[in-house]
Amino acid sequence: MKILIVEDEKELAHDMVNYLSGQSYICELAHNFHQAVEKINLYNYDCILLDLMLPDGSGLQLLEILKQQNKQEGVIIISAKNSIEDKVQGLQIGADDYLAKPFHLSELAARIYSVIRRRQFANTNVIEQNGLVVDIQAKTVSLNNTPIVLTKKEFDLLLLFLGNKNKVISKSALAEHLSGDIADMLDNHDFVYAHVKNLKKKLAEAGGENYLKTVYGTGYKWEI
Amino acid sequence: MGNMSKLLNKPFKAFTLYALIILVCSIPVYVFVVDYIWLAELDEHNQIIKQQIEKGFEKTPIDAAEIDKLLTFYNSIGQGTKITPDNSFAKITDSIYTITRENQYADELEIDRFRGLLSYITINGKPYKVTIETNVEETDETLLAIATITILFFIFMVLGFIILNKRIAKKIWQPFRNTLEKLKVFDLTKHQAIEFEKTDIEEFEELNTELSKVIEKNIEAFNQQKIFIENASHELQTPLALLKAKIDLLLQNQELTDAQSQIITSINSSLSRVTRINKNLLLLAKIENKQFTDSQPIQLAQLIEESTESLADYINQKGFVFDKNINTQLIVNCNPILLEILINNLLINAIQHNTSSGKIGIELSNGILSIHNTGYKALNTQTIFKRFSQSSTTTANSGLGLAIAKEICNGYGWKIAYAYTNGLHYFTVTF
Repeated sequence: MKILIVEDEKELAHDMVNYLSGQSYICELAHNFHQAVEKINLYNYDCILLDLMLPDGSGLQLLEILKQQNKQEGVIIISAKNSIEDKVQGLQIGADDYLAKPFHLSELAARIYSVIRRRQFANTNVIEQNGLVVDIQAKTVSLNNTPIVLTKKEFDLLLLFLGNKNKVISKSALAEHLSGDIADMLDNHDFVYAHVKNLKKKLAEAGGENYLKTVYGTGYKWEI
Repeated sequence: MGNMSKLLNKPFKAFTLYALIILVCSIPVYVFVVDYIWLAELDEHNQIIKQQIEKGFEKTPIDAAEIDKLLTFYNSIGQGTKITPDNSFAKITDSIYTITRENQYADELEIDRFRGLLSYITINGKPYKVTIETNVEETDETLLAIATITILFFIFMVLGFIILNKRIAKKIWQPFRNTLEKLKVFDLTKHQAIEFEKTDIEEFEELNTELSKVIEKNIEAFNQQKIFIENASHELQTPLALLKAKIDLLLQNQELTDAQSQIITSINSSLSRVTRINKNLLLLAKIENKQFTDSQPIQLAQLIEESTESLADYINQKGFVFDKNINTQLIVNCNPILLEILINNLLINAIQHNTSSGKIGIELSNGILSIHNTGYKALNTQTIFKRFSQSSTTTANSGLGLAIAKEICNGYGWKIAYAYTNGLHYFTVTF
């Protein structure tokens, strides 16, 4: 899977590459509008991470170019502006998702995972892993043909873990994934523990191997 | 207002007092002048009579024997003129005198004042003494009349002053009052400079010009502050994003000890707090900048339902007793994002500042949204809605939630209020 990261903040771009490389993604970098246009013209990507504020142009213009070229890349806007207008405009022009800075890398990985899947497996969006079958559209989960009934939050957590295999995800990242902006406003994320515990229990009851590991003091990891 | 008095009343009092002093002083002067004119005029009058007598005797010669008889009769009529033979032969010059005498003909005791002329004439070569006396107004009567009239005029003058004062106050001070009214309703946060009405009074025009300058400078300073906050928060977003990413990367390190993991978790929570404050500052700047313009009718009950649902995890984890009582269908016309932020902030506030296993309640009735939670003591109503006003010992507190709520309410003209009764904090929004 090839990802183009268009981000003028080099340090942040490298951190993204660092994190995503472990997820079998091949990342390329563009630090300005000019470089980005060049890369887009030459190559095809599965997903483009797009910062809206670039030193020599706007990310929104880049979106327009992609649209004109009829490219099939999934685009996730990454912006420090967090303004509703940009979000609406970006999604209208054809971006698939919008992520406001600052964000957890696990959240970014999960969004990329879901965008790529949506683009590539439009009709049969099913994830399979060692007998675990997750139908993203139908929102159903089964293990070795035994259906597992999950709550919406448990399902969301499962998707986050599947998009961040072998990565430690902090409790605050999990809380933000579950409650969005509100998690930002509250500090106590103990409820995450209850949801993870339930998910773990349901998977175990269906006879699954324990992939979901607790990392002492920090968070959880889907180990495979 | 205590000892305050209107501006025009001050000169009015002084003017009145001054007029009173001048008028009182004028009374003796008038009396003196009038008396003087009286006497001078009567002296002239007496002189004329004397001359008439002299001329009369010269034109019609009467023999000596008859003269005495005639004079006796003449004197007895008592019309104020007496001619008597003068045997002193002193040939004294004319003299003038004033005499007061009791009125013999009046029923009551009455003292009259007379002005007299003592003169000498010669009839048929014999000297005669002539006294002519004319009744003249007494000084005290003149004084009384003048004083009465003066006081009467003084009263007219004061009445005139009062009426004029009122009229002038109304007319002349109108531009001042216009200015004052505009200053009273002026709100810095509304970004509207004041347009003062033109006036033809120099002082007021000057005042308006200077006020306009001060207000313009204030608006500019306010705008600069806002832009500064907005820019500062923007600039902070990228380093914050970097920090967050670094921590996420650090967590992936296999060789982390438990102690190190704990430290990273603390860093993470402090970082969350900074992020939160920054986001809220940015949000506040955006609300103040009126960047949430589009509005639409929103079912408040439905929005509350969604908000409480997304916060359910937090409410449940702390074991709060949650009570929802919504029995009216209220539709609010506003920006959906702002309304959601308002309700979320109030609910988050109720979650954060609660007692252990306390209560949270949300109620909607008669266009009033009321959110309450258990608390230990009343909060300072003066500062509760101000930024960073509460001592934020709890790490979760951004110190801006209620300030944002207040700002949103201000923008739509809703009334937000706080009260503490029976161990419960009540926040109410009147739509």
